[in-house]
Amino acid sequence: MRTTRPRRCVLAAIICSTLSSPAAWADGEVIAAFTKNQVDPHFEGVRAGVAQMAQRMNATVKNYTPTKPNNITEGMSQLEDVGVTKPNLMLFMPIDAKAQLPTIKRLIDSGLPIINYNDRGGDAPFLSFIGQDDYKLGYDIAKTLFDHLGGKGNVVILEGVKGSTTGDERKRGFDAAAKDYPNIKILASQPTNFQRLLGMQTMENLIQQFSTIDGVIAAADASALGAIEALNAAGRKNVAVVSINGVPEAVEAVKAGSLLAIAEFDGFKIGCVATAVGLNAIRGQSAPKQVTIPGAIITKANYAPWLIPYKDRTCPTPDAYIAK
Amino acid sequence: MIAPTQSQQRPGAGQLFSAIPGAGILLILMLALFTIANPRFVSQTNLVNVGLQASLLLMIALPMTLIILTEGLDLSAGALLGLSGVIVAEALLAGWSVFAACAMAFAISTAFGALNGVLIAYLTLPAFVVTLGTMGLMQGIALVMTNGDPVGGFTPAIETFYRSQLWIFPMPIVVAVALYAALWLLLYRTRLGNYVIAIGGNKDALRLAGIRANLVHLAVYVLGSAIVGLSAVLLIGRTNSAHPTVGIGMEFEAIAAVVLGGTSFEKGQGWLFGAVLGALAITVLRNGLNILSVDSSLQVVCIGILLILALLIDRARKHYSRQAA
Amino acid sequence: MTIPATLDTRSPSLSPDAVALLGRLILIVLIAGALTAVDPGFASVSNLLNMLRQASLLFLVASGLTLVIIGGGLDLSVGSNLTLSACLAAAAIKTTGNPWYGVAVAVTSGTLIGFTNGLMINRLRLPPFLATFGMLWVAQGAAYWFMAGQTIYGMPMSFRYFGTGFFLGVPLPIWITLVVCVVCSIILHRTTFGREAYFMGANQTAALLSGIAVERRRLLLYVLSGLTAGIAALVYLARLNAAEPGIGEPLLLPAIAAVLVGGTSLFGGSGNIVGTVLGAILLTIIVNGLNLLNVAATWHPFVNGAVVLIAILADFIVSRRRSESG
Repeated sequence: MRTTRPRRCVLAAIICSTLSSPAAWADGEVIAAFTKNQVDPHFEGVRAGVAQMAQRMNATVKNYTPTKPNNITEGMSQLEDVGVTKPNLMLFMPIDAKAQLPTIKRLIDSGLPIINYNDRGGDAPFLSFIGQDDYKLGYDIAKTLFDHLGGKGNVVILEGVKGSTTGDERKRGFDAAAKDYPNIKILASQPTNFQRLLGMQTMENLIQQFSTIDGVIAAADASALGAIEALNAAGRKNVAVVSINGVPEAVEAVKAGSLLAIAEFDGFKIGCVATAVGLNAIRGQSAPKQVTIPGAIITKANYAPWLIPYKDRTCPTPDAYIAK
Repeated sequence: MIAPTQSQQRPGAGQLFSAIPGAGILLILMLALFTIANPRFVSQTNLVNVGLQASLLLMIALPMTLIILTEGLDLSAGALLGLSGVIVAEALLAGWSVFAACAMAFAISTAFGALNGVLIAYLTLPAFVVTLGTMGLMQGIALVMTNGDPVGGFTPAIETFYRSQLWIFPMPIVVAVALYAALWLLLYRTRLGNYVIAIGGNKDALRLAGIRANLVHLAVYVLGSAIVGLSAVLLIGRTNSAHPTVGIGMEFEAIAAVVLGGTSFEKGQGWLFGAVLGALAITVLRNGLNILSVDSSLQVVCIGILLILALLIDRARKHYSRQAA
Repeated sequence: MTIPATLDTRSPSLSPDAVALLGRLILIVLIAGALTAVDPGFASVSNLLNMLRQASLLFLVASGLTLVIIGGGLDLSVGSNLTLSACLAAAAIKTTGNPWYGVAVAVTSGTLIGFTNGLMINRLRLPPFLATFGMLWVAQGAAYWFMAGQTIYGMPMSFRYFGTGFFLGVPLPIWITLVVCVVCSIILHRTTFGREAYFMGANQTAALLSGIAVERRRLLLYVLSGLTAGIAALVYLARLNAAEPGIGEPLLLPAIAAVLVGGTSLFGGSGNIVGTVLGAILLTIIVNGLNLLNVAATWHPFVNGAVVLIAILADFIVSRRRSESG
């Protein structure tokens, strides 16, 4: 089946770890890349971007992902363990920024260069932050929906994971947009952990509670896709759904018309740029304090570039996003 | 599988050595393999990490051993970890002293332990079901109290405590060792401990002997929950915040650790040190696989295989020793 | 092999169980009535069918598990069995374009996992809790590895019918539940195998001594549990229209709760499949009611836990009273 990683894992890992040497600054650096789970395709995009850029720049990647999705205990253990392996560079996204900040600070103090990507990790001397403006993403996509509804209607919000930076910031954006549209009524706002099944079940329950729902704002594609299933099953037509991410399946839904629009939160681009900035920094170049990748709004008019599978995409370089 | 006989003699040193359970063998094997694969595995930092992570698991696994010895189970331990941590955090934020906050968590944990104990010991309801129910209750309370968000911003004293050291040993390891010593004394050197072990073997016999068996049985659950509740204080020190869902699933890992170490579900056979071996085995496996940056999906498979392998080894040894006898 | 007449081999569909089932049915009707009073929309056909469909999904995971528990065992791997089977089936459907391959794969995968569980418990003499717990990890890890962080989506319409379609106005999952329930009922109450399963659960030693091939029966029980998990995987896949490696994990404890709330004892030897149906409906209708009353989702675990406790306490009180009255 399609795979991006070698499967003789233990043997390969043993070989990899014995080949990696700590002070090789020129090439062949080892990057420790942290992602939050193995179930959300967004993070597969991140890993694909990191892998491609690393290969282009002659470095190797070791991935660290908790076995239980978004599990903070496992995340902490992996963070504590990674310091021992002494990678040359670390790409880090927090599961819980507050909880992991002290350990991150200790790692940076011990000399490990860390790039913060995807979710903001808090106030630590990271080399740089690569990500997007979640608040703006939330605001923009909510505005898109409200405009589509003509400024009035009943809307429900499917949030992300409570306590995650991305989830909380997007919600802030949703709420801010709602304030600007006084005739839009937010019927309910519930967490769905960026997950499909929870999105579907929550939507089923909301459908039961409210007889008229005109629009749905989802913090992630997976929740939106689950919600669409629920809406179809209940026979609710003409409900406009928007989400954030832009994974291939959701883009196909935009193409088919079941999803109105997506605010692009592109894991692939984030992974590419973070790797490039990080490797450049440890190879002697300076690193920008942060690189904010703007998010486009994916609609039926412009979806094509996002349907290309990750392995066929080309990594953008940081220059595309850094104002000179 | 080594197990104290029903007459509950402390296992002699010779007996111990000649009958290392499957978990012990696998532990030694893993230590050797991981060290060969990456010598940094035995660096001081890493060994300390392993010790810290195993200590946290042990704090649930040790009381779980006592409960399993009574032919019971406590599925609510993970949820209690979360709830207790949340209570301490909220109390601290409300201005309570550390002592008062911990006392509150202790009280609530004990109350839930008593609830479990009454239903299981006195009403003889199955432990699996009762603790499944109380798990939902505790998890629910923690979620409602926090609305699902983690609670942070309380006094850094807790984290300082977690990171402090007694001589060269980190505090969590010290606490785990102290807990083990205390429970060992309780189990193998007091009459109460004898009764606890006897409940697993034959509760009726105990009652006929004139002992208030139900009370002892209840006490095991109360004690177990009290220990877990207090362990939550250390856990929130690790992340400097309390998560209502932090413990979900840990009860299963703790049960796996206990059973890996040779304690059986039936007839109250088992030993306390087995829980230590089991907890170490699981932690070493996870840590070693992290160090080798093995794909996490395969980590999950390996844990399952570890469990089955350890049990197989024990079967084989039992079979072999029976043949040799 | 004859079973000695002195040993109790009554198929337990007599009064005590019927009373327990009736009690649960009455409770469900009462709750439905109360909810309709709060919101008449609750009693609409579409809403009731929707709720029953949700309960059906829960029941299907719990159906084979009921059989195993009646036989005195436990199967903790049903959730990850479902996950792995669904992922493999989705891959089969996508690559061949033929939904029937998916059905075959899911059924085979589910059955194989169940068979392995039974084998570990029989041949390797592992306690059921541990054998199936180990299998939980192995199947879950296999699913993660196989999916390599991605999801498989976009099932053909003909397959999606199993999850989202209607037959005679009633959603397919409900029909599938009916079929599974009837089949399991026949197995439990109308076959020797079923009687032997009850016997094994009640007293394994006595069953062995009376000549029942306990090991073979046990193997079949776990195979059935795995098989129903495979069927449930297909329905979930059809419903979700996608396979992810995370779908089965949160299903295990609710499935066990449905079995227990339905009146089946964890000790084995009693209970029946209709109880699990009612248990699933009870749990679903309560959550539905909470949503209707606008209770925050954070209350759900508390309520579910309370329902489990109340159910076993109620059964306990009833059985106490019955044994006191002789």
